[in-house]
Amino acid sequence: MRILIVDDSRIMRTIVKAALQTLQFPVDAFLEAGDGDEAWRILEADEVSLVLLDWNMPGLNGLELVKKLRGLPRFRSLPIVMVTSEAAKYNVIEAVKAGVNDYLVKPVNEKTLEEKLLRVLNRSSP
Amino acid sequence: MNIRYILPFIEAVQGAFQQLFGMTAQALTPYLVRKEEILDWDISGIMGISGEAKGLVVLSFPARLAQEITGQLTGQAKEALDDDVTDTVGELVNIITGNAKKGLEEFRLQISLPSIVQGNSHQVTWPSGPVPIITVPFSTPQGHFSLSVALENVITP
Repeated sequence: MRILIVDDSRIMRTIVKAALQTLQFPVDAFLEAGDGDEAWRILEADEVSLVLLDWNMPGLNGLELVKKLRGLPRFRSLPIVMVTSEAAKYNVIEAVKAGVNDYLVKPVNEKTLEEKLLRVLNRSSP
Repeated sequence: MNIRYILPFIEAVQGAFQQLFGMTAQALTPYLVRKEEILDWDISGIMGISGEAKGLVVLSFPARLAQEITGQLTGQAKEALDDDVTDTVGELVNIITGNAKKGLEEFRLQISLPSIVQGNSHQVTWPSGPVPIITVPFSTPQGHFSLSVALENVITP
């Protein structure tokens, strides 16, 4: 599995990566991007199995990236989990309407991350 | 003064500190500060709020505590206010402000990207107009820090 972690905070990317390693997710490669534009370039050029995506970032933000991806047949079924500090219900609704598969509010809790990823990837264990 | 809207911010601070650092952040008595007040801290993370209310959220630390919590996240002791420390403080104020929106859902709010001000005794440019600025000091086993909030139409004189 190739997981793309998109967050403008390098420390948050490291925390998410460490959580996935602790959970022993079968990850072949972690790809990282600091904003939506960088993520877009990676997605165009590389194979990605799952995207963990922050919302508030410089340049193309997470929500804009989701809308752009869902507009293209190639990315319509790409699993995307929004991982953001945005905790208001109207934000969750907006992200789901844009096409995210699931939504996780920071700070990242390992157990919740595992549950969301298993559901999105349709598995019973990592 | 209507300060009930400060509670979501206090809860967000406490939740973030517990979850990220396993640390209890005890809220002390809030107080009002003047706009021109110099902050007696070494580093502050600032978030702008816009939408149905406008304002600022400022999270301020002494260097030692900012370095300590960053070291907990990175696993490396920090001796200076380097990029990792500014990243941590920026992400923390982002998490706190984003999480606090859950308790302020009667207002539709947008948050900015975080910015950082550092240097001993620095100053913040607060919104103009008669908006009260409430500071909540917090105590942790590793030291004190503070959260200041000014939110037009929400926290009113």
